[in-house]
Amino acid sequence: MDKLAEIAKYLHAMLGRQSKADSIAWLEQQQSGISGDSPSGFYLAFSTASRFFDKAPLYVNRQDAARACELRPGFSPGHWNCLQAARAYLLLLYPHDNPDKWLATLDKLFETADLHEQEALYAALPLVPNPALLKLRAAEGLRTNMTTVFDAVALHNSYPAEYLDEPAWNQLLLKAVFLQRPLYQIQGADHRANPTLAQALIEYAHERWAAGRNITPELWRFVGPFLQEKHVGDIQRVLIEGTPLEREAILLACNMSSLPTARQRLEDYPEIQAKIESGELNWEKVGKQSHSTAL
Amino acid sequence: MTENKKRFIDPHIHVTSRTTDDYQAMREAGIVAIIEPAFWLGQPRTQVGAFQDYFSSLVGWERFRASQFGIRHYCAMGLNSKEANNEPLAEQVMELLPLYVGKENVVAIGEIGYDDQTAAEDKYFRLQLELAKTVQLPVMIHTPHRDKKKGTSRSMDVCEEHGIDPSLVVIDHNNEETVQEVLDRGFWAAFTIYPHTKMGSERMVEIVRSYGPERIIVDSSADWGVSDPLSVPKTAALMEKQGIPDDHIQLVTYQNALTAYGQSGKIKEADWLEADPVDQRELFEGNSVLRGQSPKVGYKSSDIVEN
Ligand SMILES: [Zn+2]
Repeated sequence: MDKLAEIAKYLHAMLGRQSKADSIAWLEQQQSGISGDSPSGFYLAFSTASRFFDKAPLYVNRQDAARACELRPGFSPGHWNCLQAARAYLLLLYPHDNPDKWLATLDKLFETADLHEQEALYAALPLVPNPALLKLRAAEGLRTNMTTVFDAVALHNSYPAEYLDEPAWNQLLLKAVFLQRPLYQIQGADHRANPTLAQALIEYAHERWAAGRNITPELWRFVGPFLQEKHVGDIQRVLIEGTPLEREAILLACNMSSLPTARQRLEDYPEIQAKIESGELNWEKVGKQSHSTAL
Repeated sequence: MTENKKRFIDPHIHVTSRTTDDYQAMREAGIVAIIEPAFWLGQPRTQVGAFQDYFSSLVGWERFRASQFGIRHYCAMGLNSKEANNEPLAEQVMELLPLYVGKENVVAIGEIGYDDQTAAEDKYFRLQLELAKTVQLPVMIHTPHRDKKKGTSRSMDVCEEHGIDPSLVVIDHNNEETVQEVLDRGFWAAFTIYPHTKMGSERMVEIVRSYGPERIIVDSSADWGVSDPLSVPKTAALMEKQGIPDDHIQLVTYQNALTAYGQSGKIKEADWLEADPVDQRELFEGNSVLRGQSPKVGYKSSDIVEN
């Protein structure tokens, strides 16, 4: 069985556990109606899935989550609902042997999608048969004004880090900061950190400070590896004026840097340094804490 | 501020043309759900792509925008009668409609019907009635401004001819001259409280007083014209002041619309009474519009829409 069929089988099994028998029967029936010759049956199935599946969270236990990761690294259906899973399943059924035709069908599907269909489509990007063909589409998804759609592309999704080129990737990060999204939920982000992004984030921080506004402590995660002597004043400012969480964040950033001044600042706070070295303090913790207090 | 414990549905409003201030005021006035029928935008469209983007916004962006203000957004899909007169374009729009009618928030085919009552209008009206039958959705009918009485009767004749149960059809923009026949024939009778051209709220009170609340629906049809997105709650307030019983007010400004369009299986009270907590959390995050700012009160002006 190929990978796609295995993933489809997995989604089917997950849905089977918590959906009504007639909903599953409907899903199975769609298989025969979906053909590459005319996509209308596919479009209809994709839309009407909302009549058969609700938005209850998909129940994923630890074993299921591990299996998902085996099938596709980064695939985290634990953040999906049943309707999304059903739509991803349908997406995998659609024939993909002719890439041009497949792309044209997907384009139409994206263009005419409703709010929740867009969420399902973007969240399923890492699973589709020709993922590289949807790079521009993913970048377009990040331009949305709808937070839930932006989240579907940006959070718990392995696609952006794997496929987006640097300008689009940097836009994702900047917009996520701007929209106050939880950055720790962006997959593979550390690997894609880069000096251009770090510079833009620093400038954003200055802009916020000038306006008397706060910045998310998570921002420093993507600045840390690229700290330079000229940023020492910024570090100092956070250490002196920041909240305890912000101080922890800037020291985590110093820990990512090889800049001697940054290392020195870290050593000025031996307790926090010890917490970083033991792993007790990390970016995930900073992210979670900052988002639980923000609300 | 008027007492706002009551819940309202505005089952006909073109929020695409309204600002977020209106959304805030609507929510503040107790509107929990709205239906936005596809219509024309003032300027005729010349490309099918313009329809596609409009339809997409009715199921996407506008739905999201409404949710930001705690309002559930539904819509009716259709090719309006005015633009049905551009036949080559109308053909393409008809091909587009099946892509949208199955969407989650599409509760009716509409607003369709007659404008000038031309042959082309008749053709696409009938085709869309057949579409409504195929997808088992209610129908929202726009009755013409000119030659209204005849146009209204004819709309109902055609529905019957196509074997559509009157209980699935809402005839909109009624007035004192049309209401009796619509109710007698078993259709839903909707009234649009719209300054100067359609119905005034004082006349509306009298209609509910004479005909009772059964199968009568009040809406605003607020759009890009001089119109009022608070017509429904304002009319309810006036009805209360003028002694219409509470349960009658509740029927004409909430329950009847829910019953009529609820036949689609896509709009139910639980959608707003038991709003998904996950959704709720997502809605207000990342959007600063409502943060740290109390909604504007748009309820101070006169409760009477002038006729
Ligand atoms: Zn209208």
